[in-house]
Amino acid sequence: MKTKGEVVFFAVCVAFFGFMGAQAVALMGEGRAGEIGSALWPLIALCAALGLSAVLLVQAVRRPAAAAVGGEASEPDARDEARRRRKAVVASTACFFLYLVAISFLGFILATLFFIPAFAFALGERRTKVLVAAPLILTTVMTAVFIKFLTIPFPKGVGVFAAFSRLFY
Amino acid sequence: MLEIYGQAFATVLLPQNLIAMVLGALWGLLAGALPGISTSMGVVLILSFTYTLAPMTAFVLLVGAYLGGITGGGITSILFGIPGEPSSVPTVIEGHALAKQGKAAAMWTYLLCSIFGGLFSVLFMIVATPLIADFALRFGPAEYFALTILGLSVVSGLSGGSMLKGFLSCFFGLFLATIGTDGITGEERFTFGTVTLLGGVNFVVAMVGLLAVSEIMIEAEEPFKEYKGMVEYRGLLEELPRFSLFRKYWLTMIRSPIIGTIVGALPGAGATIAAFLAYGEAARTAKHEPAKFGKGAIEGLMAAECANNASTGGSMTILLSLGIPGSNTTAMLVAAFMIHGMQPGPLLLSQRPDIVYGIFTAMIVINLLLLAITGTAIRLFLQLNRLPYSVFSAAILILCVVGAFGINNSVDDMMLMFAFSLIGYFMRKFGVPVAPCILALVLGDLAELSLRRALLLAGGSPLGLVSSPISAVLLLGALVSIVYPLIKKPKMLASS
Repeated sequence: MKTKGEVVFFAVCVAFFGFMGAQAVALMGEGRAGEIGSALWPLIALCAALGLSAVLLVQAVRRPAAAAVGGEASEPDARDEARRRRKAVVASTACFFLYLVAISFLGFILATLFFIPAFAFALGERRTKVLVAAPLILTTVMTAVFIKFLTIPFPKGVGVFAAFSRLFY
Repeated sequence: MLEIYGQAFATVLLPQNLIAMVLGALWGLLAGALPGISTSMGVVLILSFTYTLAPMTAFVLLVGAYLGGITGGGITSILFGIPGEPSSVPTVIEGHALAKQGKAAAMWTYLLCSIFGGLFSVLFMIVATPLIADFALRFGPAEYFALTILGLSVVSGLSGGSMLKGFLSCFFGLFLATIGTDGITGEERFTFGTVTLLGGVNFVVAMVGLLAVSEIMIEAEEPFKEYKGMVEYRGLLEELPRFSLFRKYWLTMIRSPIIGTIVGALPGAGATIAAFLAYGEAARTAKHEPAKFGKGAIEGLMAAECANNASTGGSMTILLSLGIPGSNTTAMLVAAFMIHGMQPGPLLLSQRPDIVYGIFTAMIVINLLLLAITGTAIRLFLQLNRLPYSVFSAAILILCVVGAFGINNSVDDMMLMFAFSLIGYFMRKFGVPVAPCILALVLGDLAELSLRRALLLAGGSPLGLVSSPISAVLLLGALVSIVYPLIKKPKMLASS
């Protein structure tokens, strides 16, 4: 499973560095006369990265047969565990992304208040006391330190949420 | 000279700087002591809060976190058997074994040796930095280019398992450093019309995403844990070792900080190699109870901790005199210098001696503060490990958000941080180390500008890069530090 992921990862690397390399080529010849152009350094870095990605891709492509034969991934327990892990990562990452998006709409305080229990739940936290008390305590501390003390101008949110945020900052 | 140090001490001991040192040391200790946060993560999390601080206050805060992190790693290593940093592995082997045997002296021996190692290396730093910086004043663009290449060659030391992946990460970092407006021609590069990228990729945003958030994402894969656990600590009087212990192992106490300082000064070597080398040397030459190594040898613990902390002075010497960061933590300090409009290197000593000498003296004060803080707060650090881990990681993520947003008060920076955290997660997932990328991102701009200036001066001829003996030697050094591990590794594998 991991090998398959590696192949995809390094294939994406090859595609990315190839695309950026093409962009760098487009920069060539635009510098002033007698000057070393702005394409030289990125081209060196991108060509090297492209070459290394290609080598690592080939290495990853050659590996799967050996990994699949004796690999643990074929066992049901290991598959379940891998699935559980992926689920936790996806859920917690989605929580974090939604938090970043929500900050603009709900404001920092409300978004933080909702984010903490959601993220903890995604990680597997099931204790009610922790899920209820921690967001209140942490949000209070964060608000006091970063909004009141350091006066960082976090987004206040929109509409009714902005009105709520204005009660605090 | 005494007058300069007198002024530096007076500046460092100003209330705001003293508070910053205490807070930095506390935060570093916390970061080092709490499993899941590394020293570099601790430093990067507070880096973004230093923008509005006076330069001296910002640096003492960051240096406090750096030294605190290196010292704090020993707490979890001894009590929980969890190495917060790779450099703490020998401490886990011997220190945790001693703790399990109920050997009361382990905690304080580690602490006293750490501080001794740290102070020893500061003395080296005070002597060596002006000498190296004076020599480096002869550097032109070609020498600077060679120097940055030497700095980038540490990738071989930061790569972990695969050199290919380490270099891939490094070239990715070099590419990231080219994004934005070109410093010479003013052309836009890889911005795709976005205003956010015009100024380039912000170091802090990239570091927070690649290092801190991705670490939490990797931790999310681990089975759920309520707490990290709790270990009994008996108290100061019961734990304090006798002076005869240090007299008995005097040779280790002298040899290990020397090894640590020298190894710390080598680009890419750092605290891990320093700790292992000193530990190995102590095991090899042990006269008292050599059979105990691996099962709880106090001499091994002393050697590892002395060398571990001594490496900080070595790294800082090279950072301040040549501008080369030897690790991702010192790379963050380079970023801090740039944030405050300074470039670490030979000119820094002549342009801002107040900062350089201030850092020297701050390191002495911080080491002493660490002794006092750690000694009195060990019990508190142990209690902190009872924080629910799920909530604790949420708090770290909020700190990351605050850090990324606080730079420009921009929501775009938060999204950029998220993008970097995904990149960092997949890099780690597939064994591509993130440290070389961060190092290259920090050094990339200087490397490119130096190369282009050197080529311009040489009329476009690449020979201009090796025309001076200094640049030729530095480039040769870079070549050796890249090639040597490649030759050495197969030999080590064959012998094992």
